[in-house]
Amino acid sequence: MRYYWLVSFFTLLTSACSTASPEQAQVDAPIHIRWARDPVSLDPLALPNPSAIDAVSLLHLSLLPIDYQTDRYSACLAERLPEVRLVGDSITHIEYRLRPAAKWDNGQPVLATDVDFTLKLMQCPGLPNEMARAQFGFIRQVLLDPTDPRHFTLVCRGQAVEMINTSGDFPILSESALDTQRTLRALPLAFLQDWPAGKAPLPPVAALVHRYQSANIARTPGKLPGCGPYRLVEWEHNRHMLFSRKAAWWADSLRAAPFVLQAKPRYLDYLVVPDDAAAMLALRRHELDVFPNVPARVFQQLQASADARRELAFYTEPSYDVVVVGFNTARATLRNKLTRQALSRLLDPAGLLSATQLGQGSLTVGLLPPTSPFYNDSLAALTYAPAEAQALLGRAGWQRQPDGSWHQPGSPEPLALALRYRADESTFATIALQFRAAAAKLGIAVTLLPTEAGTLSMALKAGDFDVCVRTLKGSPFGLNFSIFFHSKAIGTSNFTRFGQPAADRLLEAVEVEGHDPRKRRLLCSFQALVRDEMPLVPLFFLTNRLATTKQLRHVITSGLKPGYAAQALTWARADSLAVRPTPSR
Amino acid sequence: MRQWLLVRLGRAVVAAWGIASLVFLVSRVLPVSPEQLALIEMEDLSRQIGPATSNEVAASQQAVRQRLGLAAPLFYATRTTGPAGEWHWHGLHNQYHEWLSQVVRGNLGKSYLDGQPVTALLGQALAYSVPLAAGAASLATTLALALALYLARGSGSAGRTLVQASLATLQVVPLFLLALILLLLLANPAVINLMPLASHGPAPNLLVAAGRWAVRAALPLLSLVLAVLPALTLPLVASLRQESSTPYATTARAKGLPLGRVLRRHLLPNALLPLFTTLTDLLPTLVAGTVVVEVVFALPGSGRLLAEAAAAHDYPVVVAGVLLLAGVRLLSLIAADILYFLADPRLRPAT
Repeated sequence: MRYYWLVSFFTLLTSACSTASPEQAQVDAPIHIRWARDPVSLDPLALPNPSAIDAVSLLHLSLLPIDYQTDRYSACLAERLPEVRLVGDSITHIEYRLRPAAKWDNGQPVLATDVDFTLKLMQCPGLPNEMARAQFGFIRQVLLDPTDPRHFTLVCRGQAVEMINTSGDFPILSESALDTQRTLRALPLAFLQDWPAGKAPLPPVAALVHRYQSANIARTPGKLPGCGPYRLVEWEHNRHMLFSRKAAWWADSLRAAPFVLQAKPRYLDYLVVPDDAAAMLALRRHELDVFPNVPARVFQQLQASADARRELAFYTEPSYDVVVVGFNTARATLRNKLTRQALSRLLDPAGLLSATQLGQGSLTVGLLPPTSPFYNDSLAALTYAPAEAQALLGRAGWQRQPDGSWHQPGSPEPLALALRYRADESTFATIALQFRAAAAKLGIAVTLLPTEAGTLSMALKAGDFDVCVRTLKGSPFGLNFSIFFHSKAIGTSNFTRFGQPAADRLLEAVEVEGHDPRKRRLLCSFQALVRDEMPLVPLFFLTNRLATTKQLRHVITSGLKPGYAAQALTWARADSLAVRPTPSR
Repeated sequence: MRQWLLVRLGRAVVAAWGIASLVFLVSRVLPVSPEQLALIEMEDLSRQIGPATSNEVAASQQAVRQRLGLAAPLFYATRTTGPAGEWHWHGLHNQYHEWLSQVVRGNLGKSYLDGQPVTALLGQALAYSVPLAAGAASLATTLALALALYLARGSGSAGRTLVQASLATLQVVPLFLLALILLLLLANPAVINLMPLASHGPAPNLLVAAGRWAVRAALPLLSLVLAVLPALTLPLVASLRQESSTPYATTARAKGLPLGRVLRRHLLPNALLPLFTTLTDLLPTLVAGTVVVEVVFALPGSGRLLAEAAAAHDYPVVVAGVLLLAGVRLLSLIAADILYFLADPRLRPAT
């Protein structure tokens, strides 16, 4: 008790120094969100991983980002959704107008010339923009409106429906910050796109590239003014990244800001915790407030704990990522669709969903989720049916030998398969083991080849596999399956090497069809075709699992990555809020 | 002695250059190339609006190669593929020459992933790993000496049996399991939570910075100490026991010296030789970091940096890591030799 006066003195001193009320301090406390890995680079042209996409979306805005409330694209920097005009049979004009209120951090307005500059910057050689270049290469020209600096038209090659949304889904960068001389204005976009890869760039382009590289935006994004709601306060590489809400952000002045232009948390602090068990304990210790993409077993453990249930809220949302088993249709043994159909009957989707995802997920008949309006619900779900598999093998011309193996007449080679999957994914290993066990019962030898991720990608491209297990990442807008099934994509993204003129025609029709009922008919036919030809077997769609502290409100979950809307989160204004450390700023 | 040292250092430099060159060349001829990995996301339905043709993919890969400096020939001379392979001389314009001349100037290149200088990345990571591993090595050595002296004083007592059995058990527990057990036991609100809330941001002063580091490093440090303690202690105990049966030890005891003093003054200097080898083996760990501990406790150290670089095929970081590790490994061998010479003059090279 003799030190009571000292304690009281310090208490008074700290209260006097503190300007914010305790409630205010609690409401302003950072929201700690788990990242499994560091963003590595905050270069808006590169976006090397999902963490980088999360981070860059706080600093920069696009014309049409995804609204996680509805899982649809929504007008953000664009005043409204674009107007689309088809020109001839191979050109699309997409017309945008920017919000008059939109401003960069330096107070300059966001103009059509900034969009033009960003698209041209994506085509400059020497910058880490190869992905963006491939993704947005369909935009061939930006037509500026001399009477309205915020109005512009994108001239796009092709008439794919998906390009409407994609055309607005990239961060817009400030021309005045990066190119004060406006050197790119004189160069047409198509001129930059068609510049030969090995040829040295023009001097003004090279100078711009040099300036961009020297700015080191990947690590010091503050050098580039953004028009997003947050600024980067601190980045401890591989440890944490703290964002602070701009005190005066242009969208605050909007009368009715759409969901994509709302930014409620004062601070967002992303913590890099690579290990799932460590992340779970950090959540329990209140070091983390949001744990997205929780593995099924961790989620179950948390839900089973009474203490965790008291403190945490749990959310699940069906995702658009589907686990598939693919067949290399170029292999002699797998060229016959009856053989592929037979092998598909050896998979047990329901059992695998239960074993790997603890039942959280949804079985599917195709590459579209059952919740999609384009889902073909007339197809029956696949089940484990070894007797049917045996019969189908017989129909495919395979004959069982006395030693139990299967041979085609006149061929000495038995039916034996090499199955590749990513080595670090236990879900794939379980599927591979189930398939091998089922095949062994039928006398088919399956060699498992767990492979490192990069090597697997190369092996799939090169066709160095018989069967593979992988996840296909989808979205509610990704209805153009050409990248996986068109014969043009064999050797690149069409890993099953499936290609038929009829399928190509169907895919091309889906690509340009904008009328929903007709599109549904086409997609249902396509799903039926995939089921019949069986180049791959869609097993189940994964679920996004999210755990947050109960002290958070406005938790908007989504089936799209990252699975929640960080900008919508708010603290509950409860007196019982625990005191949290506020990082030094 | 000086000549011996110069020769050893020279050999170490040549060996490190050889190892790093080998890793550099092998990394460039691996089937998985960085330009292919940089474009993996092109296979995402939500990212692509149509199939990319082989020509488009090839153009994208060429652009990545140009940007990363992989378009130049790999070596001074290369052989064309195919049955009628022919040798081509490229002179100094090749990737290996460029890399080597940069390394000589102290520039280890730039990361493929984010374009940052590798030296800066390694420096940031070492700032976490070296204090952690150095702290663990010092603590473990002190504890090992104390425990070894305690265990060598006798055998059969319950306390000594328990300590010895615990050390033997610890020795068979893998580090990842040990780290997870500590995390689940001591940083778990359901059991015991000794971990205070993490705080980030620049520390206002050195004392606060040290305090934060100590808080953050407590469990990782404990994991590392427990992991290396048996390897340091048990051979030392065996060595002390062996020395205690020698005639000079018996003489010392017969002269009436207390057992503790005999152990410390007479037996320990002679029993220390195996400890030097184990300790210098720990030196590369100071640099390489401990991947497991850094992943489990979310520490941004050099072990995690190198493991992630290897997984992402970020070869400039991997090659720099190998070069650094090879150098430190070779230096640690020299350090072990010098310690041996100091402890036992009979082992010194003839002058």
